[in-house]
Amino acid sequence: MEAESSTSNQQRKRKRSASETSEKPKQSTWRTDKEHRLYSSKLLEALRRVRSGSGSPRTDPPRSRAVREAADRALAISARGRTRWSRAILSSRSIKLKSNRIRVPCPARPKRTELERIQSADQEKKKSVVLQSKAKVLGRLVPGCKKLSFPTLLDEASDYIKALEMQVKAMSALTEILSMIGGGTEVAPGMAQEGVSSTGAGTSTSTGTDSMPPPA
Amino acid sequence: MSSRRSRSRRSSNSSRITEEQIVELVSKLQDLLPEARSRNSERVSASRVLQDTCNYIRDLQQEVDDLSERLADLLATTDMTSAQAAIIRSLLM
Repeated sequence: MEAESSTSNQQRKRKRSASETSEKPKQSTWRTDKEHRLYSSKLLEALRRVRSGSGSPRTDPPRSRAVREAADRALAISARGRTRWSRAILSSRSIKLKSNRIRVPCPARPKRTELERIQSADQEKKKSVVLQSKAKVLGRLVPGCKKLSFPTLLDEASDYIKALEMQVKAMSALTEILSMIGGGTEVAPGMAQEGVSSTGAGTSTSTGTDSMPPPA
Repeated sequence: MSSRRSRSRRSSNSSRITEEQIVELVSKLQDLLPEARSRNSERVSASRVLQDTCNYIRDLQQEVDDLSERLADLLATTDMTSAQAAIIRSLLM
């Protein structure tokens, strides 16, 4: 709780310095336990809000999107304004119409650069054009990175990957816990085998339903 | 040292990026990929690394989507009191 209020202050400060030092490699923090804890906390709070926000029936497709957006937003906030993708997520979320922008790898687009590839005879140019087309695809995958220079794009991508890995880890852990706590018998059998490292929460708060098979 | 050099080069030639810079960045990215564990010493082509990166990001995002869906279902069926939330939080940590 305290961590959350202090990080929002840091967020303001970091945003200013982030524009100057966006090239500094602050990427290693995604893999620390502390970051994981902070994110998990935010995630939980965000998800609770999602739950209390909508009173619609359970298998509502918008709900899983709401969860995804809440998780992404929490992730972006955890980035503390250091990276473009996180700022893009936070700014685009307010305009829900554009929520598809995040993950639409258009296979049609690269054909334009394929023309360039044919036109340029120079070997070196050819190589860099091929890279450019792939970089474009990458730029579309990472939020807010469509028009970045190559080095910046790779920087953003590597940070984004690390953040996503943490997000997956945290969400898996949360899923595992919720499935153990909630509803008792409502455990999805395949869940423990998703490669989630057990949080040691087998000491049950639940009624001891052993319907979850041990992780393979 | 080369990182210092590439940073200054980035500001002077924003349009033309050196081969060396690309190689360095790409190798850094390559180390992040899951394929790096099996293929560590070998230098893969840059386009291959970019392709793998795109695939990996897509996979991760897909995984997040799946997890979101599962979480959405779980949240719908679970009634979470604030006491339970506190327990969950401590478990996550």
